[in-house]
Amino acid sequence: MMRQFSLALGQIIVVFIVQEAIVSQFRLPGGGFSLLLIFTLVWAVLSLPEIAALIGFISGLFMDLSQSSSGPIGHWTLLMIAACCCVAYLGSGNDSLSGNPLGFTFLTTSAVFFVELAFVATGALLGVGSGSFGQILITIIGISIWSLVVTPIFLPLFSHLHSITFNSRSVI
Amino acid sequence: MRRGGEGRSRLLLIILIVTALFLITLDLRGVGLLEGARQGTQTVLSPFQRAGSVVITPFKSFFSDVTHLGRTQNQIKKLREDNTKLRSKLIQRKNADSQLAQLKNILNLAGTAGYKIVNARVISQGSSQSFAQTVTIDSGANAGIKKNMTVLSEFGLAGVVKEVSPNSALISLATDPSFRIGIRIARSQQIGILSGRGNRSASLQLIDNLTSVKVGDVLLSRGSIANRPFVPGVPVGYVTAVDNSAGAIAQSATVHLYTDFSSLGVVAIVVGGTAVNPGDALVPSKPKPTPVPTVTIYVSPSPTPTK
Repeated sequence: MMRQFSLALGQIIVVFIVQEAIVSQFRLPGGGFSLLLIFTLVWAVLSLPEIAALIGFISGLFMDLSQSSSGPIGHWTLLMIAACCCVAYLGSGNDSLSGNPLGFTFLTTSAVFFVELAFVATGALLGVGSGSFGQILITIIGISIWSLVVTPIFLPLFSHLHSITFNSRSVI
Repeated sequence: MRRGGEGRSRLLLIILIVTALFLITLDLRGVGLLEGARQGTQTVLSPFQRAGSVVITPFKSFFSDVTHLGRTQNQIKKLREDNTKLRSKLIQRKNADSQLAQLKNILNLAGTAGYKIVNARVISQGSSQSFAQTVTIDSGANAGIKKNMTVLSEFGLAGVVKEVSPNSALISLATDPSFRIGIRIARSQQIGILSGRGNRSASLQLIDNLTSVKVGDVLLSRGSIANRPFVPGVPVGYVTAVDNSAGAIAQSATVHLYTDFSSLGVVAIVVGGTAVNPGDALVPSKPKPTPVPTVTIYVSPSPTPTK
């Protein structure tokens, strides 16, 4: 268990560094995409709910520690725990969603959309400014479209890493 | 047995949620330890961001070029004729030239007002996933940069220093939804508050209900006590639309910010303000209209009628 946790933590750190040092540097139209968000949600679909919650907690904490995060520390952590638990429940035992790449991509992209939406809604409650309605809409739709494009590209790699880390046989 | 497993996972979930809520509470109460954690992360990340910036510089504008494919068609055609080596050199040279031009303009701007500045290169753009508009620069506390210092671009105000680590700093851009600045209208010297809206247009709220604002009015920063967070006299933007709603207490307007945030390569941080307020010295000159030549054609009837 400790070995699996260390491996997962190491991979999350690598994805976080790639996101902050490379992906964020590209000035992508529509807000771009978050590799760490996609990575976490893909792993959450493949995992049991309690493991997914733990992965969501670690990833959310890193997202909170990013300087570009506008909310208080713990905001992304809370959302990611909830999101990972939800997608893990939806994914477990439902092969039409988690068993094929198409359903998998759809589930991950939908999760990205709802997580961003939840971030804006909870951010408003916590007093975090998110910009005008139009700008929020463009960013959320932009991030979702980018996730739809990027998820199938990284899906084989992420699911392979998951199977190595947790010794599971489910590889997409 | 199964019951025990379910109980354990439920307990784990509760512990994680409580920890997250605990962190939110601590952060909202302003516990310095958490802010230190964010700064520490940035200190660790800045060498990676610096390396990433160097590696991806040639591809940085690829996606924005794709979106403007029609406009860059001729340029792409010309570049295809060059060999790979020449193309790579050209891109690097273009990047350096553009940064040099930005730097010259910033120095002109700061020199006119007498600001003491520190120049820095933008090494990373903040992720849009949190709806914040930020950039990271390659200079920090070691270069004399402190929190809440004014950041200038070649055209005027770019933002304010939000966080500082030894070798990098986080800049909150003027487009950030949480960005607020007190401004002065150059024409009438009236004051108001400008707020970021997530894009290049910002919203202006006048304070006095007897004052009025006009389209084209230039806005300058009002300045703060001890020049922090804002030094006075920095050009911010100009008014593009005025909202004259009958129910409003004071007039509000839409403002176009001078700084082009999509091409922010070099910025200057004002580390020392001027003792004398520069007033309207930095107001940008209006563009001169280009004369359009008129062509007069004289037609004289031919002597023989055409059949």
